[in-house]
Amino acid sequence: MSENNKTHDAEFDNVLKEQLKQQKKEKIKNDLPLYLMMLPGMLYLIANNYLPMFGILLAFKRINYSIGIFKSPWVAFDNFEYLFKTKDAFIMIRNTLAYNAVWILMDLVIAVFIALCMNEIAQRKIAKVIQPIICFPSMVSAVILSFLVYAFLSQSYGYLNATIFKDNPVQWYNTAKYWPFILTIVHIWQGAGQSSVIYMASIGGIDKSLYESARIDGATKLEQIRYITLPLLKPMIIMMLLLSVGRIFNSDFGLFYQVPLGNGMLYETTQTIDTFVYRALMISNNVGQSSAASVFQAVIGFFLVLISNLMVRKINPENSLF
Amino acid sequence: MAKSNNKIVLMKGEKEFHYIALVIMVLMMIFCLVPLILMLAVSFSSENSLLHGYRFIPDEWSLDAYAFMWAKRATISRAYGLTILVTVVGTALSLVITSMFAYPLSRKDFKPRNVVAFILFFTMLFNGGMTATYIVWTRLFHIKDTLWAYLLPGALMNGMNVLLVRNYFNANIPYSIIEAARMDGAKDWTIYSKIMVPLSKPIMTTIGLFSALGYWNNWSAGLYYIGNPKLYTIQVYLKKLMDSIQFLKTTDLTDEAVLLAQRTLPTESARMAIAIIALIPILAVYPFIQKELIKGMVDGGVKG
Repeated sequence: MSENNKTHDAEFDNVLKEQLKQQKKEKIKNDLPLYLMMLPGMLYLIANNYLPMFGILLAFKRINYSIGIFKSPWVAFDNFEYLFKTKDAFIMIRNTLAYNAVWILMDLVIAVFIALCMNEIAQRKIAKVIQPIICFPSMVSAVILSFLVYAFLSQSYGYLNATIFKDNPVQWYNTAKYWPFILTIVHIWQGAGQSSVIYMASIGGIDKSLYESARIDGATKLEQIRYITLPLLKPMIIMMLLLSVGRIFNSDFGLFYQVPLGNGMLYETTQTIDTFVYRALMISNNVGQSSAASVFQAVIGFFLVLISNLMVRKINPENSLF
Repeated sequence: MAKSNNKIVLMKGEKEFHYIALVIMVLMMIFCLVPLILMLAVSFSSENSLLHGYRFIPDEWSLDAYAFMWAKRATISRAYGLTILVTVVGTALSLVITSMFAYPLSRKDFKPRNVVAFILFFTMLFNGGMTATYIVWTRLFHIKDTLWAYLLPGALMNGMNVLLVRNYFNANIPYSIIEAARMDGAKDWTIYSKIMVPLSKPIMTTIGLFSALGYWNNWSAGLYYIGNPKLYTIQVYLKKLMDSIQFLKTTDLTDEAVLLAQRTLPTESARMAIAIIALIPILAVYPFIQKELIKGMVDGGVKG
C-alpha cells in the first residue's frame, strides 16, 4: 500500500515538474514580445554605453592605428603618467573644479532668488510672459550662443568695442583673464531661468495657509521667506546641490569650447577636462592622453555620482537614481 | 483698531516688496532678450553701417543679409533640409525605442525587469568617456561622414527618458486595464501600441520635444564625425562658418587667396541672419510648447 503510494507520489511529482517546466516555457514564450520590444533599446545601450566601457582599456595602450587597436602594445599607466606630468592636466582640472564650485553656489542663489521673485509676481499677467522668456536661452545651441557672444565681443565690430570701449578696444578673444567673467555671464544667461523652474514648482507646492497665518501674526514678507519658504525649500536645495556635486568633474563642452571659439590663447581660463579630451583626440591627435583624461573623468565621476545619489537616497529616496 | 493699523503697515511693506520683485524680473527678462535683439538688429543692418560696429538700432536698415542668403540658397536649404530630416527621424526613432523599452520595465509580472533596470541604471552612473565612445562609433560602426552620426551617438535613448516614461506608465495607467485587455485576448504588442502609448501622450510630448530640440541643436556630432560639407546640418554649417571667419582673422590679409576667400564668405550681417534662420523654428513653436518644456525641466531636473 505504502509502496504503491510512493510511486503514486513520484508520478505526481513528475507530472507537477513537467507542468512547471511547461509553464516556464510558456511564460518565456508569452514574454517573447516583451523581450523583442526591448531589443532595439538593448542593442543601443550595448553600442552606445557598454562597448565604450570596454574602450576604457584603450587608455592603457599606446594606440597605433597603422598596426590596429588590438595589436597596439599595452603600456600600463604610461598615458596617465604623461598626462599628469603636463601643465595641461593641472590647468584643466583646476578650471573644471573651480568653475563648478563657484557656479554651483552661484546658480543656487540666483535660481532661488528668481523663484522667490517669480512667485511674488505669479498672479500678474506679465509673469506668463516673463517665465517663458527667461527660460528661452536654454533652448539656444552652443553654436548660436557663440554668434550671440561674438556680436558683443568681436574685435572690430562687436557691440562692446564699438560703444563702451570705443577709444580703447579690448582684444576679448585673445585675453584669457576676461573669460572667467564672460563665461559666467553667458552661463547665467543660458541657465538661470531654467534652473529656477524647479524651485518655482516647489514654492508653488507650499501650503498657502502657512503664509496666511504668518501674515495674521504680522510677519513681513522677508520673515515669511526666511521662516517658511526657505526652510521648506531646504530639502530640495540640498538635493540639487548633491546632484550637482556628482557632476563636478564635468563641464558644458559647448560653453567652454565653442563660445571662446576654440581659441588657443585662452587655454589658461577656458580649458576643462572635456575640451582637453576633444582637443587631444581630434586636433593634436594624441589618443593616449585623450583617453587617459576621459577615463580619469569617467571613473571619478562614477564615484561622485554614486556617493551623491547615496546621500540623496538618505534624504529623499524618490529622487535618487537607485 | 490697532490691528487694522498693523495691517496697513504690513500691506505697505508687501507692496514695496512686490514692486521690487517685479522690477527685478523685468530686468532679468530684458537681460535674456538683449543678445537676441542685437543679433536681429545686425542682420537687418547694411554692411556699410556695420563698419562702425554693431548697434541695437541699425544706422542704416537693409535686407542685404537676407538677399545674400537667397543667393546661397542651395547650400543653406540643403543644410536646413538635412536638419529637419535628422530631427524628424531622430525624434520618431527615439520615442519608439524609448517607450518600447519602458513598457516591459513597467510590467510587474515581467521577471527580468530588475536585471534590465539595473543595466539601464548603470549607464546613468558610468560611461566609457568621450574618447572610447568616439573610437567605438568610428572604428567599429564606421559612422563617420554618414547621417547616422547625427542620429546615433548619445542621442537616441537615455536612461532618464526611459525612467520618466516607465514612471508615467506605472503612475497613470492602472494595471487592471492591462489585465482586462489581456482577458479580451489582447497581445503585448496591442497593449503597448493601443493602450500604453495613446494613454501617455503628455510624457511622450515632453520627451519628444526635448529630443527634437536636442537633434535640432546637435552641433557636436558634426564636430566629431562629419567632414563632408554635403552632410552639414544648419548648426554644423554655422560652426564651420565661424571657424573660417576665425581662420581668416588670424591669417595674413595681403594673401591673394585669403582675400578671395573673404569675399565669398557671408558678410557680417549675413552670418547673423543665418544664425537667426537656425533659431526661427524654435522661436516659432516655443510659445506653444513652452508649458510642456518647462514642465519637463521640472521633471527631468529633479532626477540627476
